[in-house]
Amino acid sequence: MTPVIQTTNLNFSFRNGAKTLDNINLLVPQGSVYGFLGPNGAGKTTTLRLLLGLLKNQQGKLEIFGKEFSTHRIEILKRLGSLIEQPSLYLHLTAKENLEIYRLIYKVDKNRIDYVLKIVGLDQTGKKKAKQFSLGMKQRLSIAIALLHQPELLILDEPTNGLDPNGIIETRELIKKLNKEHNTTVIVSSHILNEVERMASHVGIIHKGKMLFQGPLQELQQMKTRQTSLEVETNDNTAAAQLLESFSIKSLNGKLVLPFENKEQTAAINKLLVQNGIEVYALHPQQNDLEQLFLDITSDNK
Amino acid sequence: MSFIISTKAELIKTKRSASFWLSLIGSAVIPVIFFLIYVVEPENSSRFQVKPWELHFTQGWQAFAAFLLPMFVILICSLIPQIEYKNNTWKQVFASPQSVGNIFFSKYVSIIIMILFLFLMFNIFMILSGIVPNLFYSKYTFLKSSIDWGALLKLNFKTFVSLLGIISIQYWIGLRFRNFIVPIGIGLGLLVSSMILLPWKHVDKVPYAFPLRTFMTSITESKNELAGPLLQNHELNSIGYFIFFTIIAFLDMRFRKERG
Repeated sequence: MTPVIQTTNLNFSFRNGAKTLDNINLLVPQGSVYGFLGPNGAGKTTTLRLLLGLLKNQQGKLEIFGKEFSTHRIEILKRLGSLIEQPSLYLHLTAKENLEIYRLIYKVDKNRIDYVLKIVGLDQTGKKKAKQFSLGMKQRLSIAIALLHQPELLILDEPTNGLDPNGIIETRELIKKLNKEHNTTVIVSSHILNEVERMASHVGIIHKGKMLFQGPLQELQQMKTRQTSLEVETNDNTAAAQLLESFSIKSLNGKLVLPFENKEQTAAINKLLVQNGIEVYALHPQQNDLEQLFLDITSDNK
Repeated sequence: MSFIISTKAELIKTKRSASFWLSLIGSAVIPVIFFLIYVVEPENSSRFQVKPWELHFTQGWQAFAAFLLPMFVILICSLIPQIEYKNNTWKQVFASPQSVGNIFFSKYVSIIIMILFLFLMFNIFMILSGIVPNLFYSKYTFLKSSIDWGALLKLNFKTFVSLLGIISIQYWIGLRFRNFIVPIGIGLGLLVSSMILLPWKHVDKVPYAFPLRTFMTSITESKNELAGPLLQNHELNSIGYFIFFTIIAFLDMRFRKERG
């Protein structure tokens, strides 16, 4: 199956010459929720703006729905919906009037307006102008605009920015629902790993313009397991190390560190040490959460 | 078809916006002043015994063409692109499936529609500001005299043509700058300088002086009762400027590296 988005060696520099994107090979599979993760200023928005043609591509290939963007711009834009950074709404107009503008452009049926307003819970706003909306309502109206023409692909740049916890959960559920019920492919950027972990099927981690990881979420979670370790503290670390030779063992700050597999293995190690007359002071499984992994991945590349 | 849709969408954006109210108020200012003068000082009516409409329109168009109209064009050409800048919506516009041509020209057309709306309302208000005082004070002769519709239409048409140069320049600057003070400042600066340049022999090449030139030539024409060519040199120049700056502005938008 052709990926929905594929970029090949995408490079981008702003006028000051600093390289914002360095050989980005983005691969968003059909039907996935792709979490595009990276700290602020990593190049997420730049990448997404390139995908929408808001920035002129300088170098590299950019394909959406299997078609070259520069030569099929309108055709591609018809099939995707987007929300880039802060809400872009006509504040002097009502929710319906804002949607009416895009309804005309995307040539969709009038009843879609009520439908998307209901989805995002803004169907009761009536004559209220968008400038009287709270930030969360504005964000939801922006999502409604992105959904209006039932796009096959949604490009969402930090859609939960500025939302309260409830709004964050609602948005996340909405993304999951669209993906499940309409098979909409979604690429959603965020700097909060937790959020991505809860909705994404695929993850891309970008840092300082470089792609550091890309693949299914499970793959990232496996990396997490590989990074989980067991710390052992004894009265005689040298003897203990000899006993545990079969593990790839490291000595750290007077503690022994070995890869953690499961609880049974921890018990077996304890038994082995005790039976050999070594006093065990502490056995401590060190769980690396994704947060830590994210920090590790990004800090390795400073 | 898609162009008409884009233009329709553009017109929705002007709903309740400053530009709509500006056209309405802008067209009413001079007629309202005249109306007040006529009502407060009915003794004025003695001046309006012969050809009342001609005098009425001449006085009205003088202020309108010289300052108010260019001023209005400067404001409207800044305000329409400003809707997108202010609301941060350029990015959504460019990420929607519209060609750059549609985006550029649908805005352009909605500006021109606003200007035509202003012309229409100005004429209506001017006629009303003659008729209504006449209803209260029978000494006025507006109701008894007829309007020279041909001359009025010609003046409207020629004034509109004389504005085309300013429209294209101001639209380009309005699209270019996020801060609306810049296009308004540049426009006012050029308008004032062209007033100073009015006696200059090359004034026919200064676009911001064109509307006043059109007004002045139409006065001399009607006084001498000789009909010149429909479009004078400066009006042809206005069309030339319009074509040139429209192309520049379009190419500027088409090849801009960063949108929205």
